[in-house]
Amino acid sequence: MNLQIKIHPRFHMKPLVVILLALMGIAFIIAMVRYANGIGTISNLSNSYPWGFWISFDLFTGVAISSGAFLMAAVVYIFELKKFRPLVRPSVLTGFLGYTMVVIALLVDLGHPERIWYMMIHWNHTSVLLEIGICVMSYLAVLAIEFAPVVFEGLKWQKFAHFIHRFIMPFVILGVVLSTLHQSSLGSLLLIQPAKLHPLWWTPILPILFFVSAISIGLSMIIFESTLSARYFHRGLEIHLLDKLAKVIPIVLVVYLVIKFSQLTIAGDLKYLFTGGLMSVLFWAEILIGTVTPTILFSTKRIRQSANGLLLSSVILLLGMILNRFNVSWFGITHPDPITYLPAFMSSVHYIPSLPEVLVSIGIFSAGILAFGLAVKYLPVFEAEEHHGTES
Amino acid sequence: MTEIKHKTFLFDATRCIDCRACMVACSVENKIPMNKTRIWVAGIGLKGEYPNLERASMVYHCMHCNEPDCLSACPVGAYSKRLDGPVVYNPKKCIGCRYCMNACPFGVPHFDWDKGLIEGAFIDKCTMCPQRIDIGLEPACVATCPTEALKFGERDDLLKYAHDRLAAQPARYVNHVYGETENGGTSYFILSHVPFNELGLPELSSRPVKDVSEEVMGFTIPFALGWGAVLTGLAAGVHLYNQKKEADARKLETSESQAEEKK
Repeated sequence: MNLQIKIHPRFHMKPLVVILLALMGIAFIIAMVRYANGIGTISNLSNSYPWGFWISFDLFTGVAISSGAFLMAAVVYIFELKKFRPLVRPSVLTGFLGYTMVVIALLVDLGHPERIWYMMIHWNHTSVLLEIGICVMSYLAVLAIEFAPVVFEGLKWQKFAHFIHRFIMPFVILGVVLSTLHQSSLGSLLLIQPAKLHPLWWTPILPILFFVSAISIGLSMIIFESTLSARYFHRGLEIHLLDKLAKVIPIVLVVYLVIKFSQLTIAGDLKYLFTGGLMSVLFWAEILIGTVTPTILFSTKRIRQSANGLLLSSVILLLGMILNRFNVSWFGITHPDPITYLPAFMSSVHYIPSLPEVLVSIGIFSAGILAFGLAVKYLPVFEAEEHHGTES
Repeated sequence: MTEIKHKTFLFDATRCIDCRACMVACSVENKIPMNKTRIWVAGIGLKGEYPNLERASMVYHCMHCNEPDCLSACPVGAYSKRLDGPVVYNPKKCIGCRYCMNACPFGVPHFDWDKGLIEGAFIDKCTMCPQRIDIGLEPACVATCPTEALKFGERDDLLKYAHDRLAAQPARYVNHVYGETENGGTSYFILSHVPFNELGLPELSSRPVKDVSEEVMGFTIPFALGWGAVLTGLAAGVHLYNQKKEADARKLETSESQAEEKK
């Protein structure tokens, strides 16, 4: 008898996983220091800049790039365009992980994270932040329900998967309503600062602009993650589906541009386009990178039908739109100038995030990437849903 | 039943000598640690060339707005406005989101950046000394002011008094009572001999900054219900249409096959 013994290394971890775990560890340690000694010890946030990098990156960007989940759920379940089915599960997973990361980041940012549930019992109905809090928490639950069948299929609990699938429609509709509300309300969050936010960005229709741009961000995010995972998880690329999604993006972007420039014209703020100094530069950068360039790229058939073209165009759009979120929630906000005799607690009027602040966000993001990789490896994320008898 | 009188501060910048006794009195009365304060004295410092020097300072604390933006912004309702004037913060409800700090156009609420979970990080701001005014005393800062730059009283009376001062010495003052209409009216009036922005006060309309935000929030529930109904209708419509199309296709198939059979 010929025994062949294969020895598997016990701790076989790819270098990427080690790096991700290390980044998560660093973020965890920083968070512990923050919980022990206060937010001021690890961040550059101050009484002049109470919100900073965590809000712009983790909340504003995190929510925006998770919008693919409700878009694909709407396309496949409400409009019954069943050919897009293969894209639903990855985008719901991205959404679920994205919103989980948002909540984790808020637990670091909030002064009293242990009281986050107060939003469920103490309601101040005039507060935009309350609406966002309730929507984000409820939507996270909806996403968990939408993703549950994948987990159950992975565990071979077909009955549970089947059960949830039968009652999915109300949750899909609830998810779309909640998403519409809070994607737009993130814009409303800035409405209370008309005196602080630059007129290039402050407008009562900020919620509409946020919602329209969130659609373009969600579609690009689906394209981005599909092309990337085709590359790294060695699976086929549904390029004919992505081509169809990509065709929609220029339409959304042109609508966005028309709304934005009509608003500036009506408000009489066109003068700031060239006279606002750094603000004008930031605005043009956001418009050129986030809307004009991607409109041209995604309108070109040759680019839409190549994996690299799709990846590059979606990255450009995402960068430009993320700059938009940063402009609205951070760069465009000026706090009153320092005046003589201000005591120490009011003196810091310039804000640049500290390294630990950025490391916390990077750590949370690493956890998201790792969780995505694990889910793809162990769960049927990239397999189309199995057909249950009840579907027509 | 007695009518509740709306209390207000009046600050006269021409009388302030920048002694900061108000800051000390406030910290003693409210037991504020040495590295914090609820009052700060802002101003332009010295301006001009000797001998034509000018200076101005301003005692800055919560404006106790008639329509407080912090109250509107707070998701959990930690703020309230008492009928007699004070805007009151309740640390027991606060979740530490710091949205009130963004909302306040005067940058008044400040946060315990140096406190961890165990000590508890809260918002702090001027309270109008309710423990004193409830027993008929003036707030500590007013009681201690040596030059009567700070006065305290009922809003209507003080407003009349402020306008009387402007009328009596028009050359001495900028002809405006800051806080009469700013941000919907505040419970802190300011008289000044230099433009108000040099005292660190923002230019605000009579419309509170929270107004647009609240109007947009008003659409939330109707929009959510309407949008939910539209989506439900859409989903049902698309589903029925697809079912009918499939049924028609099936019928066509069967009739075709029947026709073939007849042949």
